Amino acid sequence: MEAPAVAQSAEVLLQARSVTKHFGGVAALQGVDLEIRRGEILGVIGPNGAGKTTFVNCISGMDKPTSGTILFKGVDITHMPGYAIGRLGLARTFQVVKPLRQLNVIDNVAVGAMFGAGGSKRNTSQARARAEQVLEQVGLKHRSTHLAADLTLPDLKRLELAKALAMDPELLFLDEVMAGLNPTEVERAMQMLQTINSSGITLFVIEHVMKAIMGISDRIVVLHFGKKIAEGDPSKVIENPQVIEAYLGERFAKRARGERQKR
Amino acid sequence: MPERRGLRVGQWIGLAATAVLLVGLLILPKFQSQYDLLTYTRFLVLALMAQGWNLIGGYTGYAAFGNVAFFGLGAYTTGLLMLSKLQVPFFPALFCGALLAGLIAALIGLPVLRLKGHYFAIATLGVAEAFRQIADTWDSVTQGSTGIDLPVRTEGEFFYYSALAFVVLGVLVTIALRRSKIGYAWVAIRGDQDAARMLGINTTAMKVLAFAFSAMFAAIAGGLTAYQNIHVTPGDFFKIEYTLQMIIATIIGGTGTILGPVLGAGVYQLLSNYVWTRFLELHPTVLGLIIILFIIFLPRGLMPVLTGSIEVARGRRRFRLQALLANVRAHRVT
Amino acid sequence: MNPTEFGQIAVNAVLLSGILALVALGFSLVWGIMNIVNLSHGAFVVLGAYLTFFLHELVGLDPFVTIPIVMFALFLLGFGVQQVLINQVIRAPLLATFLLTFGLEILIVNLVNYFFKADLRSVTTRYTGTGMSLGPLRIPYIRLAALGISLLLVAVTAAFLKSTRQGRAIRATGMDIDAARLTGVKVAQIYALTFAIGASLAGGAGSLLSMIVPFDPNLGETYTQRAFVICVLGGLGDVGNVILGAILYAFVDVFVGARLPEMSQAFTFGVLVLLLVLRPQGIAGKKLYA
Repeated sequence: MEAPAVAQSAEVLLQARSVTKHFGGVAALQGVDLEIRRGEILGVIGPNGAGKTTFVNCISGMDKPTSGTILFKGVDITHMPGYAIGRLGLARTFQVVKPLRQLNVIDNVAVGAMFGAGGSKRNTSQARARAEQVLEQVGLKHRSTHLAADLTLPDLKRLELAKALAMDPELLFLDEVMAGLNPTEVERAMQMLQTINSSGITLFVIEHVMKAIMGISDRIVVLHFGKKIAEGDPSKVIENPQVIEAYLGERFAKRARGERQKR
Repeated sequence: MPERRGLRVGQWIGLAATAVLLVGLLILPKFQSQYDLLTYTRFLVLALMAQGWNLIGGYTGYAAFGNVAFFGLGAYTTGLLMLSKLQVPFFPALFCGALLAGLIAALIGLPVLRLKGHYFAIATLGVAEAFRQIADTWDSVTQGSTGIDLPVRTEGEFFYYSALAFVVLGVLVTIALRRSKIGYAWVAIRGDQDAARMLGINTTAMKVLAFAFSAMFAAIAGGLTAYQNIHVTPGDFFKIEYTLQMIIATIIGGTGTILGPVLGAGVYQLLSNYVWTRFLELHPTVLGLIIILFIIFLPRGLMPVLTGSIEVARGRRRFRLQALLANVRAHRVT
Repeated sequence: MNPTEFGQIAVNAVLLSGILALVALGFSLVWGIMNIVNLSHGAFVVLGAYLTFFLHELVGLDPFVTIPIVMFALFLLGFGVQQVLINQVIRAPLLATFLLTFGLEILIVNLVNYFFKADLRSVTTRYTGTGMSLGPLRIPYIRLAALGISLLLVAVTAAFLKSTRQGRAIRATGMDIDAARLTGVKVAQIYALTFAIGASLAGGAGSLLSMIVPFDPNLGETYTQRAFVICVLGGLGDVGNVILGAILYAFVDVFVGARLPEMSQAFTFGVLVLLLVLRPQGIAGKKLYA
């Protein structure tokens, strides 16, 4: 068994306490308590409708929680407007990518560079320079001048990531960035995420691609019907009977167990 | 901003053409009758309004349908200040009108800019209507439907050159804004407002700014027209026709471009004059038809056609009728 | 305000609400199903009014008899307009459809103006002006009949939407166009049908109006505005919402019109803006926020 990659005493970057979100009569989130530690990759899994994206929306300021508190770097961001949260150093991607369609790739990313956490010290041309760096990092440099509307899906996903990275975030929320990618692309994405993490950015990764989540996460959190039903070391979490019942299914659990026994 | 590289030569061509045009416009009054000068002045005033509308409707993507409200506001503010005990001279009065319009636009914009497409458009329409009624009923200040009469000034050249100066200023302001972070913010909002917010853009502030700017442009246009017209009434200065003209001019020229509004204003004025003389009574019908045709076939206006033509002329792109029709087909439902 | 005045205003409001509901229903269908705010809706009302006027004047038909003819004619016109024009911009950004329908409105109204001139017209018959008295309140027969016919048409439309295959297809398309397409609904046809129905209802309302108020080519503008406000008030959900919105609007309009006629439009729009900002989903229905 692997020791957790992040020491228990690592700084808590984001603290969510009893976050609840109601939409009319439906409780999308029910009292979720969560801590994200600096430097870690936190994987988040759960069936569709479990509240994963809703959680990200509430944290990033896209939406407001019905109740609960969220502290980021010690600052209460529960009711802060989304753009201010972004400037504090928290960035996110969208599950269904939201490129700025009529702009070209480099301008898309430059927007992130000029309005994100590092934005105040950059003018527009410095932002474009930073954008070029980021595009290099995600492997989109060759498409700099293409219109966002003309990109393929994998490239759009990379653009989505690039926009968020350009904001110089300390904490990055990734919402199913690997959906729709083939196995090779998934491998590449995993490597990229690990590189990003090594550069000091904390990651919160929502995924359905289990191989990816298991491969890169330091810890895993499982959401189900808006509640957190498990948390901790990846290998322990997938053994959790509740998690198996809610999401993984017996066959997967058996396979995963078998995989680890082989090692 | 989203400029394709390799238009460098094209940009020089465009710049040269604009310079020639500018010189032409500067010496124009020497060769025109007072009546024709009036038409040119009207074109310039329309260009001014269109430039303003372009900021909120073009770059930011919020189709305001009530900017005549600020046109009229500018007209009345300028006029009333000039007629007041202080006898404020024209240009200071004009600037006051612009400032006031900007302020009021900001106040109105705060709640109204949160609305989605159709509702925003109609809400702004309602604002314009409400302004008209207020001007009509607030007799003590505006003299109601009888209107006010500004001090008389008849030299057409004065109005022409003033309008020209403002249009040139407008172009420079548009360039400056577009190059700045504000311009990027506006285009980002139009691209995807949620994404823009998550990228750190204070969308509310940016939208309000665009709206306020558009109001200021409209107010200056209103003040100029008021002074030239002398007689200002609510019915004349708050009519929806002005809103439509500025929108159509921008569309014809090209929304979200720098010179599009000016180009579109010119084309519109030309068409309007031509249609007026040929079709007098059916003049609105033909204009309506022109609007329809532009919307269907050239929704991005003439600017892309011009820049595209330059590329075709340079042999870099083949002319394709397909491209034109593709646009039409893309918007149909099958 | 004394009770009689109030009573008469209330009566007027109720009588008016029928026609308003009819106008708003067509408008809300096109809006709700096709997501098109048809700024030329009022123009169809105008066409209906003029058509009834001329059928009455030239052919001597009783105006009530012209209603089905007018509605059929406008159905065909609406169908044609949708196929040729509206269809080109269905998936275009909002501004495009706005301007297209506005251009259409200018076109139609000006054509009407050109051919029929701007004189005020009205349809008068031997029974115009007759009415009954309920105590001190006066209820003109024509308005009463107009109310009845409006409600009948609204009910027929509602039944059509609910019980017929085409009607259900229309509703399905409005709810989820992709799902509707998957179940075999031919969306293009549905759109044409919906728009045609909208035009038809507008025409019918125009016919009724021609008997009640003096009209000229500019009649339509205010009705488009009113239809819009009613849809916002009631929400775009279903027929019931439209009726509710119409009644509410009729009362506010008549009441304000009686007390502050000069400020009525400003007031209406003020209420509209307030409503949009404070309660974006109307009384019930789809959300309007960005």
